[in-house]
Amino acid sequence: MGGVDADLIDINGMPDKALQEFLRKNAISLSIFEARRVAELIGRNPTITELYIFNTQWSEHSSYKSSRAVLKALLPTQAPNVILGPVEDSGIVELGYIGNERYGIVVSHESHNHPSQVVPYEGAATGVGGIIRDVLCMGAKVIAIADPLRFGNPNGKNKNKVKYIANEVINGIAGYGNAVGIPNICGDIYFNDSFDENCLVNVVCLGIVKEKDIIHSYAPKNAEGYDIIIVGKATDNSGFGGAAFASLILDEKDREINRGAVQVPDPFLKNVIIRASYAVFEEARKKGVTLGFKDMGAGGIICSTSELCSDSGFGADIDLGKVSVSMQDLPPYIIACSETQERFTWICPSEFTKTLLKIYNEDFELPQISLGAGAFAVGKVTKSQDYILRHNGKAVCNVPISVVTQGIKYERQKKAPKRNFKEPNLKEPKDYSKVLLSVLRHPNAASKAKAYKHYDTSVMGNAVIETGYADAGVIRAVDGSAFGIALKTDCNPRYCRIDPYWGAVNAVAESMRNVAAVGATPSAITDCLNYGNPEKPEAFYDFYEGVRGIADAAKNLHQKGTTYPVPVISGNVSFYNESASGNSVDPSPVIACIGILKNYSKAITMKIKKENSTLFLIGERKDELGGSVYYDVNNEIGAVVPIIDFEKERNMIYAVIDAINAGLLLSCHDISDGGLATTISEMILGGDADGTIGTEIDLGFTDLRADKALFSETSGFVFEAEDKNIEKLKTLFRFYKINLMELGKTTGNKITITRKNKKIIDLQISELKEAWTRGFAEAVE
Amino acid sequence: MSNSKPNIAVIYFPGNNCEEESLKAVLASGMDGRIVRWNERKGIEKYDGFVIPGGWAYEDRIRAGVIAAKDPVFKIIKAEAENGKPVLGICNGAQALVECGMIPGLKNNVEMALAPNKNPFISGYYCAWVYVKSNEEKGRCAFTKLTGKNEVIPIPIAHGEGRFVTKDNELLDKMIKNRQIIFRYSAKDGKIEESFPTNPNGVVYNIAAICSKKGNVMAMMPHPERASFIRQLPDIELKNKFVGNQQAMEDPAPARHIFYSMKKYIEEEIL
Repeated sequence: MGGVDADLIDINGMPDKALQEFLRKNAISLSIFEARRVAELIGRNPTITELYIFNTQWSEHSSYKSSRAVLKALLPTQAPNVILGPVEDSGIVELGYIGNERYGIVVSHESHNHPSQVVPYEGAATGVGGIIRDVLCMGAKVIAIADPLRFGNPNGKNKNKVKYIANEVINGIAGYGNAVGIPNICGDIYFNDSFDENCLVNVVCLGIVKEKDIIHSYAPKNAEGYDIIIVGKATDNSGFGGAAFASLILDEKDREINRGAVQVPDPFLKNVIIRASYAVFEEARKKGVTLGFKDMGAGGIICSTSELCSDSGFGADIDLGKVSVSMQDLPPYIIACSETQERFTWICPSEFTKTLLKIYNEDFELPQISLGAGAFAVGKVTKSQDYILRHNGKAVCNVPISVVTQGIKYERQKKAPKRNFKEPNLKEPKDYSKVLLSVLRHPNAASKAKAYKHYDTSVMGNAVIETGYADAGVIRAVDGSAFGIALKTDCNPRYCRIDPYWGAVNAVAESMRNVAAVGATPSAITDCLNYGNPEKPEAFYDFYEGVRGIADAAKNLHQKGTTYPVPVISGNVSFYNESASGNSVDPSPVIACIGILKNYSKAITMKIKKENSTLFLIGERKDELGGSVYYDVNNEIGAVVPIIDFEKERNMIYAVIDAINAGLLLSCHDISDGGLATTISEMILGGDADGTIGTEIDLGFTDLRADKALFSETSGFVFEAEDKNIEKLKTLFRFYKINLMELGKTTGNKITITRKNKKIIDLQISELKEAWTRGFAEAVE
Repeated sequence: MSNSKPNIAVIYFPGNNCEEESLKAVLASGMDGRIVRWNERKGIEKYDGFVIPGGWAYEDRIRAGVIAAKDPVFKIIKAEAENGKPVLGICNGAQALVECGMIPGLKNNVEMALAPNKNPFISGYYCAWVYVKSNEEKGRCAFTKLTGKNEVIPIPIAHGEGRFVTKDNELLDKMIKNRQIIFRYSAKDGKIEESFPTNPNGVVYNIAAICSKKGNVMAMMPHPERASFIRQLPDIELKNKFVGNQQAMEDPAPARHIFYSMKKYIEEEIL
């Protein structure tokens, strides 16, 4: 075992009680068992620095100690189109070949829930900052971000705080993403009281890279003697304990303590670092130099440097005194574990070090831009597989590197919680127009323009369909090529509350429908699994069921034209999302689906384009309104959530993709929150709520009671086609064995819905607009 | 130089973020160009024209555009503008042109500022598609040689501080008299309405772009580089009619004329 020159903490000699007190006093969240395990693994008592290292590395956030076994056992992560599965900072899925070059879409998906609850602006901003680093460090050009958000009940007992957090989170995402200059291309927002004390802020980021240009998050072959270079902001004490904090239950009492664990965003510095890093990529490619590059996020220096070296079988010898710091007298364990933002680690052959340092420090003048910022060589990659940290000439950490990175695993117990959900017995409404307006006004169904118009959706100039105009955002992938990329995030928390398995299946299916509705083919998904405390068997059961649902959906909704799954290429687990009173948030396996268009110009939006075209429905309406917006406006939740028939679902998706790519559809929109009536209303309005063409709909296609037919959220699509294309459409849908139901015509400036010759809905477009555009604003104002 | 294409420097100050798409619009318009970092100013006077792109130059410390306006590179750009070279400031670049006194450029100091948006729907930063209408005769400035009076152009805005304000009404009258108000926010049909959403930030006189008295410098808050290709347009007929036609999607959208005009101006006046 390696020698150290620092004092040792007498873990072995301390009785349990004293040890617990010691851990608590030092804000170390390791359990007594885990602390003793550290001493056992390294063969002696640890130094305080070593103890903090394991505190970070063994946090749920960094180690996936509760989740890893389940994820590994269930999720399909491999398919021929996977260039890199979920093993490094981001996954990479094939975009396609342009000439002889295979291009990859780099995807990462993370949560920043706890920081956002405590300090919402900074928490959300640093969430965006972190996800951008994950994508950049694969050698990719960063091209888009997206953000699924979950907030508390805006009309409930915590409404003031809920509104405050919602606004600050939205501002934080805007404040960071806009300044860095990455377009925000989609997202989704849900409100309900399970998120009152624990909001969810997930972030997704996309990049683009040629396969041959990928930079890995591990040291290259023969890297012995390579320099370890830290680049970015000067290290301070911010975010110290951040990874461990992410794995704690939030307690309002600890708010002030927890604030210190949240990192401080600096999008301005990041803007420059990104551009400087692109210059490094270019220079390294020109010179044929192979580098290792990794984000410095959770766990700071120790996590980033140890994983880079360990994954290739090397050790590291780092002098913490060479780390640029912006605070005096920082103890070594803070320098090692702080989560100061806007930092990366490079593994660099020494002959290229000068070039790399020059790009950051002279060409882009990082030291002039932010005090103490820059690129600095702090250590060497070593052949001996020890992880050594030195400070003031003393070794403060010296442990086998594999012990630092191997983590710890738990097998958690699962037990199905009692779920006493019942279907309500609602009377048929008398005034359907009024019901439709109240559904459109519900903040979960209403337009989110007031949120996303804070975000820069057109920067970089590659947007094809910006946020809000369609079910998914679409960007052009590469200059001079016709490839387009579509992205959408989904997960309805109320479905998951009723049924964690079918909620997860629906999240996957809906994300795929959304991508298909613009004409893109689903090619991969990512999952951000937001759950409660995994030490509670009921919460762990929900988690397990969610993962099982994602896996089943991904395996059964095959990649179009194959029997391969739509692979899960990246993701994140966020546990301990519960309030101090022990209530877990609704299970939230948030899914992002990445779709590919071979020709971006085929992409269509949801807005009705022409008068006198025909609206069609696919997907029979069913009495499965559990978790629906309609039930919520009746203060009910129900019990029967939409069930996905995999074969039918994939055939609907494939047929819609084919129809759009054959140019047979003018507009298309999937059916989700608020059901069929909401879908049609949104098609009339369009993303900017400036639509002028109405519809005349007849419910003759169904025997269901009208409220169930109009507001059931059973999966399906509505689309618009011109008469000349109807025969072709019929042939296409027959091929996929999908029943094409005619809803009615696009005409006039009203929405009318008729049932057995009786008009049950008759509304001006302006009335739809008022309800749909005001609902979300009322929730956050 | 006379046989070569106009060569444009797109300036990147630390914190800018629209330099790439600005360069792409320049190149698509038949000009040469390069992104030039703020600290690469040596020899920058050789370029035939300049684009100051959007973003947050120097983090908008103190006020949007202030620090960039004091960067040594601006001294050179100012001198070159006095020689007649065209300078286009977009969004944050427009803010910098105002802060260094080049716009409106009637006295040799700062006469205007860009104040926070006044918007009843969203406070702070606002990103949306709007329309601007050409307010002066074709050729009034270096950027409207191809845009006739009253032409309406779809274009996005993306800013938090886009409201041109003057110290006094006299200056506004003077700019109108000097024919310096080049673009105004309008409805799709060209109607000038002072209310939101036609006027997206509450700016006086619906001002979207102002040129210098000579007309070779223009400060524009909306982003022509994000509205220069059909594919970039939002869900409107002008784009929707080309769905499925990739070649047409790469064709110029109306705002491209601003860059084509810059080229024409350089070919006629500079080269």
